[in-house]
Amino acid sequence: MDTDELIRAIAADAAPIRRLPHPMTRAVIWLALSATYVAAVVAVYRVLGSPVILSGDGRFLVEQLATVATALTAAIAAFCCIVPGRSRLIALAPLLPLAVWLASMGEACAATLRLFFSGGIAADGAWDCVPPSALIGLGPAILILLMLRRGAPLYPRSTVALGALAAAALGNLGLRLFHAGDVTVVMLIWQLAAVAGLTALGGLMGPRLLAWQRLRLRVEGRG
Amino acid sequence: MRELGPMNEGSDKDDLSYLMRLAQDGDRDAYARLLRQITPLLRGAIRRARPFLQPHDVDDLLQMILMAIHAVRATYDPGRPFLPWLMAIARNQIAEGGRRYARRAGREEPLPETFSEAGANIEADVNNGSYGDPEALKHAIATLPPAQQQAIDMLKMKEMTLKEAAAASGMSIAALKTATHRAMRALRKALLSEA
Repeated sequence: MDTDELIRAIAADAAPIRRLPHPMTRAVIWLALSATYVAAVVAVYRVLGSPVILSGDGRFLVEQLATVATALTAAIAAFCCIVPGRSRLIALAPLLPLAVWLASMGEACAATLRLFFSGGIAADGAWDCVPPSALIGLGPAILILLMLRRGAPLYPRSTVALGALAAAALGNLGLRLFHAGDVTVVMLIWQLAAVAGLTALGGLMGPRLLAWQRLRLRVEGRG
Repeated sequence: MRELGPMNEGSDKDDLSYLMRLAQDGDRDAYARLLRQITPLLRGAIRRARPFLQPHDVDDLLQMILMAIHAVRATYDPGRPFLPWLMAIARNQIAEGGRRYARRAGREEPLPETFSEAGANIEADVNNGSYGDPEALKHAIATLPPAQQQAIDMLKMKEMTLKEAAAASGMSIAALKTATHRAMRALRKALLSEA
């Protein structure tokens, strides 16, 4: 097929399309839908009798606010990455809230590590909080992936990694709502290693999850 | 500020950003006009980034970019400049083309040369890389002695290896090499004298 022929074929396929909203708008929509989903899961667990912690403790509040801010900025950055012509520097935006989040946990983490290495705590317990927090992270992860697939897969690794970070941050919010509040090795592993692991996994899976090939097949399928 | 394409300054209805907005709204004529206007820009970008590409490779890459633009046209925001959007896709597709080429090259093994002796190998067409008139070539082959015709058919047309051709024809490898070498010399002479 020569280029003129292709242009004619593409132009003939030009049905009206819905423009993608601004990345910030999309991130807010994602967060609102995800928050609704999180609230629904929390409600179900409450009905089932699991304790839900809504502490007024200052450090807890800072940590949760930083978690939500990390989720929101990571989502904004991910949605920016799929719009051609936008700066990739936005990918650095989640670093500040992430730093606040990590710092807020710092004291607890250090204390936990000291206790762990002195044999004061065991590496068991609190695994029961993992399924609900994973369930909480799953919905936002699927949703953000579906939303990201509507854009241009320019930087699939960093895009999916940012999306995974956003979803993992919400998953952690879930953990803190379901967990009894005490700091354990499980919590340390889950909050730090799981976020880092999921983000890295997102980066690795990026090219498979967001690919030009899929978009091209869609175009050819229509043509 | 509205961004104008280099070929259409001063003409609002040909403004690239405006045309893209119309295209997003389903205006096929505007879309075709836009794609035709950006084609030279993209061709230039490809040539600057990959000056070693052959014209048909440039066209392949250009078509990849046009399809990518079509696939993600919903991501264009008419409130933003058009060219940075376009060139981000172009750069990405040019890089993607390079990666795809590297992946393909990594999977493929180089084909063995038909002949181990350089003198027995056929030189590529010195003029333009094609055989020119296929009818003239067919006619020239028909005038060759049967053994040379058979050697050309097996080694050049069917791209058999020397071993396969020797097994199929019963000729020795040395005889095949000689027959092909002579056939190619005769063909070159015949075709050049015709031209």
